[in-house]
Order: sequence, then structure tokens, then C-alpha cells
Amino acid sequence: MSTDSKSGGRIPIENGIEQTLRKVLKESLKSDLIDALLLPVKVPSGDSYAWILMQDPALVEEEASPMAAVMPVQGAKALKSLTRKGNGSLRVAAMMRPCEVRGTIELSKLNQINLDNVTLISYDCPGALPLSDMSDAPQDTEEAFMGLLSERNFESTAVKPVCQFCTEFSMGAADVHIGMADPDTSQLLLISGSEKGTAFLSATGLKVDEEPSAWEKQTDSIQKKRIQQMDKAFQTIQPMVEGFDNLADTFSNCIGCHNCQSACPICYCRQCYSDSKESSLESAYYLDKAEKRGGISLPHDRLMFHVGRLSHMSLSCVSCGQCTDACPVSIPVAKVFSYVAAQTQQAFEYKAGKTAGEAIPLKEYKEDELKKIHEMTKSAESQESPHE
Amino acid sequence: MDKPNQNEFKPKIVGFLCNWCTYAAADLAGSSKMEIDSALTVIRVMCSSRVDPNLILTIYFNGADGILIAGCHPGDCHYGKGNYFTRRRYAQMKQVFETLNLDPGRLQLSWISAAEGNRYAEVVNAFTEKITALGPNPINQSSLF
Repeated sequence: MSTDSKSGGRIPIENGIEQTLRKVLKESLKSDLIDALLLPVKVPSGDSYAWILMQDPALVEEEASPMAAVMPVQGAKALKSLTRKGNGSLRVAAMMRPCEVRGTIELSKLNQINLDNVTLISYDCPGALPLSDMSDAPQDTEEAFMGLLSERNFESTAVKPVCQFCTEFSMGAADVHIGMADPDTSQLLLISGSEKGTAFLSATGLKVDEEPSAWEKQTDSIQKKRIQQMDKAFQTIQPMVEGFDNLADTFSNCIGCHNCQSACPICYCRQCYSDSKESSLESAYYLDKAEKRGGISLPHDRLMFHVGRLSHMSLSCVSCGQCTDACPVSIPVAKVFSYVAAQTQQAFEYKAGKTAGEAIPLKEYKEDELKKIHEMTKSAESQESPHE
Repeated sequence: MDKPNQNEFKPKIVGFLCNWCTYAAADLAGSSKMEIDSALTVIRVMCSSRVDPNLILTIYFNGADGILIAGCHPGDCHYGKGNYFTRRRYAQMKQVFETLNLDPGRLQLSWISAAEGNRYAEVVNAFTEKITALGPNPINQSSLF
């Protein structure tokens, strides 16, 4: 999975994975390297999690759920709300799923997150469970997720549909990564991905001197299976979206609530074109169209909204599945977006959120690129012109 | 041009022309009395990179049969690099249309400089011919969306 060599260290698992993690996190907070931790905490009603910025080490030990069963608010959104105006002198460590880390990286490229003083911690993610599971049966859902973690089960079909074919479930651009896929289940493997990560791990008193080759082998083999899952999934998604009629069918029960957009970590615009009055036309126009077509649906821009969002954010889509979780009428939004995003990102040989150093594709250009498109712009005749 | 026929499909095409190159080319073609198909409705933009996907989609989903985006040749952008960004934006948009199979051929990007009045006429006429052959935008047949 990785090209450069990484180094890691281990601590024995005592009283479960979460408790062991809490101890590590608490140590980091007690050190003078980290001022606050951003962690999920179960809400008092017990059926969801909220992001809490914690400064009290005791709170970390008692309340934190560093690996949450579901993903109610995407971590990138939580971090954005903290650092949109810069993060000043506050040094924060945030523990997130890999897709949340990718969302964070994308938002930092879009100047919505400041990562200067942030240490990102991620873990090999078995997938998040659907949000509705948690509100229906909180206890079972939490136990099911803990089961996946302790069994190191990365092939569950109980997780969200996009999680089942997620190929970027492991270490990405995070500073510290927890190697949950490691074959040694008696110890927790912590891997450093950057200088920040190494500093973090040494602040917790961990010796980082091991090359985690067994973990790399394991993640590689999980990834291979996930790629197969992805190919399979894409084959079923393709007929759902190809052609105007199929696409319209897939989104036909959309109620136009725009929840998918509100939950999306990448859609960061304060106001969307589709919510503005510019997206409506004069009533005479709709009457005219209804006359020509026999009838039209209102509001008229329900499908355009989704295609518009695809055209605006698919290059940065991290396939976290928040849109599907947020959809009240169970449209498989995330599957469609993940499928389209895979194609648009491929066109620019880009993987959203994978690496921190590069710009998003629409922010840069090369003079000599996109050959196929460039050739088409030169000819007066379009190649497929049937009349010649 | 032939006499208009009531049953013949006459496409509606919208062209976003950059103010500095293609719009001037359109002007030149007009003042040189070149024959340009009347299917094209021109919208002048200050730069082809100003054409946001939402502009294309608004037009497409409201029933335009073809959309042309035209600007300065690469390297000749009035603003230095706008058309390089246009090309990237267009590539992304085109990919979305291809993936969703929304008749990607209804979108076209062309580079036409201010001096290329005849090329402007050629591009517009050829694109109109192509769209005429493609037929009406399927969206115009749907009463659901």
C-alpha cells in the first residue's frame, strides 16, 4: 500500500482496544505537545456520537469513543469548524476514519482547514455502520462495530455500502495511524506517517523503531479484495446512472431536501447556486415547457441539483457515504457519487485526499495535457460528424 | 439556407464565447457576411473559464440541444492562463457527461482566435449539423424531469 518505509511501535492491548487507545490519547494530552484532542463522544441519549474538543485528560479516559460505530458528522467538518479562521496556537490531535482524513486534506487544499497545528490520527477502518442502525438499536450497533474491530473483520456486509468497497481504508495522509489490520491482536500497532506523528508517538512514551511489514502485507491483501468488491459494485451502479432515463429513475424519489449536500464534507460553499433564486426561472417559462412536453415536474431542478453537485465536487469526493446516511428517502447517493468520482478523478490521475502536498486538479494546469480534448478543440468538424 | 420546414428539427444551441477572441471572431464573420447557422444563441463571457458547470447544466437541463464553449487558443488567453483552466473544467464536465451517458457529444469546446472569422463560421455550422443529426435533447421528451 505504501511506497516509503514507515516505522511503528506497539503497546499491549489491555481492557479492550478502546481503553488502550484512550490511555495513549490521554498520555498525549498530558504531554506538552498537544493542547486538546478532537474525539467522538457518545451523546447522553446513547444513540449517536458528537465531536468533542477535549482538554481534560480525565474526560478522555471516561467519555471518548475514539473509534465510533457510525459517522454522524464527518470529522473534516468538525475540524473545519475549529480551524476555518486559522487554528492560532492551539495544538490539536484529531482521531478520524481514513475517509475523514481524506476529507480534511481536501478541505485544507480548499483553504477551509488549517492543518499547521493539527496532528491527524487514523486507523484501518472496517467501515462505518449505517447511521440509521445506531438510532434504531444503539447498543447492538455499537457491539457489532466493536466485534468487527476485535475480530479484525474487514469484509463485513453490515457496514455502509460504500464502505464495503472502500479501497482507501488504511493509512493515507495521517500523521499517526493505528494498524488495526495487523495480525498481532494482542498489541496495538501505532505507525508514524510524518515528523508530527513521530513527535506525537514519542510524547506518549512509545518506542517507534519497528518496520510494520506484516501489517503492510495484510492491508495490501485486504485492499486487493476491496478492489474486487469495487469492480463488482461499479458494475451494478453503472446501469443505474447511464442515460438520462436511468439517472432520472435513480433520483426520482428525491424530495429535494439537499441533506446530502449539507452532510457532505466537500460541499463547503456558504450558499449553493441550487439554493439561490438564480436557479428559478419565470413562471411563463415553466408553463411554456409544460405545454411542449405535456407536463413537467416541480421543483424543476431536482435532478440538475445532483448532476450539478457531481460536476462541482466529484474531483474531491472522498466516498465517505455521508450523503446516503443523510438521505431520508434511501437514494443510494453515495454509490452514484463514488462511481462518478472514480471516473472524474481518474481523468486527472488524482485521488482525493490521498496526499497533502498536491493541489486540487482545477487549481492548476499544464500547458501540454488532456490530449484527447485538446485535439477535439482544434478541428472545425467534430470527429463523429455523420454528414461528410 | 433551405426554406424552413415545419417538421424539420431545428436545434437550439447556446454558445459561450470569450470576449477577447471568439466573440471578436463572430463579429468578424458577421461583418465579412459569412453564412452562419442561426441555431446558435451567443452569450458573451469575459473568459471561457468563467463558464461554470452550473451554467452548462442549467442550459442543458432546460432543454438546449447543444452547448459550445469557445475561447482563445492556448497561450493566447487575454488573462494569460484562463483557457488552460477552461480546458480542465471542460474535461471534468465532459467526463461527468460521459459517465452518466448524457450525450457528451452535445458539449463542445473550441479555440477560435479573433482573426479566425471563417473558422468561427465553420465550427458553428459543423456543430449545428452534428447536433441536428443527434436530434433533440432527450430531456425535452421527459415530463418527469
